[in-house]
Amino acid sequence: MTGTQANAANEPDPKAWPPAWKIWANPIFRRYCRSRLRPRGLSVWILLSLLISGFLFFMFRQASLRFERMDLVDAERTPLIALLIFQGIILFLLGTGQVAGGMTAESDEGVLDYQRLAPMSPLAKVLGYLFGLPIREYVLVLVTMPFSLWSLWRGEVPLNIALQLYGIFFTAGVMYHLTGLLAGTVVKNKRWAFLASMGVIFLLYTVIPQMAKFGLVYFKYVTIMPVFEECYPHLIPRDAQAAAETLQRILPSAKFFNLDFPQVVFTLLSQGVLIVTMMVMLWRRWRRSESHLLGKAWATVFFGWVQLVLLGNALPLIESGALFPSRGFNSFLGRFRIRGSWQPEPWEPVIMVGCYGVVTLAILWVMMLMVSPNAETRLRGWRRVRKLGQRRFSLIADPATAFPWMLLMAGMGSAGWFVFARELVESRWFAGQEVPTMALGAFALVMATGGLGFHALLEGRGPRASGMAVIFIGVVPIMVGSVLGTMGFSVVATWLLAISPVMAPMYASGVMMPMTDAGADIMRSLPRAFWFWQLVGIIMLARLMHGLRQSLRTIAKQADEEGKVLPDES
Amino acid sequence: MSAGTEGAIEIRDLRVDYGDFVAVNEVSLSIPRGVVYGLVGPNGAGKTSTFKVLATLMEPTYGEVTVAGHDVLEATSAARRIMGYMPDMAPVPSDLKVWEFLDFHADTHAIGDAATRQVRVAECLDKVHLSDKRGAWCRALSRGQTQRLVLAKTLLHRPQVLILDEPASGLDPLSRRELRMTLQQLAKDGATVLVSSHILSELAEMCSLLCVMNQGRILSSGTADEVRRELGRSDRMLCVTMVENQDGLLTWLAAHDGVHDVERDGTEVRFGFKGDNSGQADLLADMVGAGLRVKTFEERGSSFEQILVEVAEGNREQ
Repeated sequence: MTGTQANAANEPDPKAWPPAWKIWANPIFRRYCRSRLRPRGLSVWILLSLLISGFLFFMFRQASLRFERMDLVDAERTPLIALLIFQGIILFLLGTGQVAGGMTAESDEGVLDYQRLAPMSPLAKVLGYLFGLPIREYVLVLVTMPFSLWSLWRGEVPLNIALQLYGIFFTAGVMYHLTGLLAGTVVKNKRWAFLASMGVIFLLYTVIPQMAKFGLVYFKYVTIMPVFEECYPHLIPRDAQAAAETLQRILPSAKFFNLDFPQVVFTLLSQGVLIVTMMVMLWRRWRRSESHLLGKAWATVFFGWVQLVLLGNALPLIESGALFPSRGFNSFLGRFRIRGSWQPEPWEPVIMVGCYGVVTLAILWVMMLMVSPNAETRLRGWRRVRKLGQRRFSLIADPATAFPWMLLMAGMGSAGWFVFARELVESRWFAGQEVPTMALGAFALVMATGGLGFHALLEGRGPRASGMAVIFIGVVPIMVGSVLGTMGFSVVATWLLAISPVMAPMYASGVMMPMTDAGADIMRSLPRAFWFWQLVGIIMLARLMHGLRQSLRTIAKQADEEGKVLPDES
Repeated sequence: MSAGTEGAIEIRDLRVDYGDFVAVNEVSLSIPRGVVYGLVGPNGAGKTSTFKVLATLMEPTYGEVTVAGHDVLEATSAARRIMGYMPDMAPVPSDLKVWEFLDFHADTHAIGDAATRQVRVAECLDKVHLSDKRGAWCRALSRGQTQRLVLAKTLLHRPQVLILDEPASGLDPLSRRELRMTLQQLAKDGATVLVSSHILSELAEMCSLLCVMNQGRILSSGTADEVRRELGRSDRMLCVTMVENQDGLLTWLAAHDGVHDVERDGTEVRFGFKGDNSGQADLLADMVGAGLRVKTFEERGSSFEQILVEVAEGNREQ
């Protein structure tokens, strides 16, 4: 069979099924409409939702009229935020939990295999589950909407504000449901899948927005918060609106390389890319359950996109100072009028550049775990290559080594990191300071030892050896170093902490950036420890790359010996 | 690849590994169209792994598998369209009613509009004698009823190839008989039915061809008699009751070739017999010809079971 024939046969008969976008005709969607919208169960939920939303509506409205003596228009606005929070609980929390739990339950019960065998397109299956599993939650949100619509209408909230807010509310819901679907697909245990998806949403709204305070502004666009902040003045009584608008001017806006995007557009763009990427992951898994979550090319482009948005959001905020944590804390403490003498602390760029490196390295590791083949995948790939009468893998095939792609990502990561460091340090806030070009080399070294080294270990020696390395090289030195640090052994701690690749970006930042307030012994041992362990890392990398090469050859040879393959790689 | 003159199912050099454990080891099979083919073996023989590969639910370590001419690894969707798979311990969703479950699967296979699906669902329910359970919750069905429901689901899209993993487990004798008749009718209508069991006699009754697997390998394949012969166990246990003259039967049996271990138990005489179906028919003819007045003559406690018992015991000894 030729490749083309195989592909044609792999596609479901397009005439037999409605297009994937016709969600109402999707069998999986209709199945869940049937099972999750049974009048008996649904009526109780509807009653509860009506009760709670009605309570919030009348409570806020009446209290504003009676006790706050607001006029009718202002009073009508007051229930909006409470209703939005309630709707968020239903759609974001309950909906995502339902998607993750429902998906794992299907897998647990074994009925998921039936859907695997159904000759619908993978995309139709993903969409069917995405909108089918949380259908009850959509209905419950719909039930609460009359109260919101009344408040929006009688509260004279501009239509474009209402559309922005609820548009983002919906896309954020879809995005969180996709995380639930992914968790349900990847995590085998129902309870863990549920907890993982809940945990992701919790992190998105609590921990991850804090990263914005350290220069990683992009992460707040995976929530509805930026759009909510933009719409906020229109959701509160009009006499407070002016103050809120003043406050809003202090908040960082959605600047992307100084292009002034409306918050809603940039949030849609950010969430859209994540939605499409997660859809691709699920599509790949439905198409072939052994597939990597992402293809190598997609992962690389996605990594590049993350670098682009991290930089694009952060760099325009340097000039105004809005990117610096101390400025954010000042605002938080209520000092809205920033004094003219405000100046970022000298340690701030060091920490911010270090954080940027850690996040870049972490994303590199995540991509690596998604696209690196194990020995079995590789061997299987060789056998298939032989079966199809080909001589080698395509560079983007799952069984092909991910090394060239990791190299590309590490290069992009180092470059992005260097640009961030340079723009930050050489800004008007640190007159006379500069980041040496050598810093690019140091950053590339960190990416090579921590990123490529781990990749060579993972692909060459397998997940077991990599897991041990994570524990004994990645985690243990940080734990021991931290304990010793608190005991006063700061030099030993500095040397120990430098072993861990997680700390390497912080060290690189500390070595390359001006740093004034650390003790003399630390200032002396920090660069030494950094360069020493990076040298060790480079030697290890060379060994691991040699091991990877050997491993690739051994697998090719093994397949050859089985008479299944024509040797041609390496 | 288009369907040619080859078998409905072709398996070549199939191997399935779970880590270091080899579940299926270099299995090759060719199953012709329009037969009920039985795959039998003790637990852990590799039946379910083989079925999962055939059903496109698992990638083999290596090997080539085609179903009605479609390579299950390269033309997965095409293979899925013409195949029906019923897993072992077939699960059903707890939140659907019987008709809803079938209607949903009819929908996923694009079997016409709601009215057409309704007719097809009724046909399949009728086929497995579950029409009276149409409105019942799937979770309320007994094990046997669940098996039959999943069989009905498997039949919905009129598959050319049916892959049924232990379909008779949990069925009462009457349902087993009905299952046998249903499968034989499907084969008569042109479908190929591949069915597994760890009860060889059960398969011997319903299958035209058999394959015995153990520890991932094929021990024997062919007709029931060929399997018996190849495995060197052509013994069968026969049981005769007489209108009169049991002593005469005992004497006659003692002098007959191939008969051994004769026992008398009340009105019955049981004995072992070494021979195939034809030899068994000749034995009965000779018995009647010798003037013995035979009331009943039946094969009992099939030595097929013995074959599997010995195979399983062999595994344990290893």
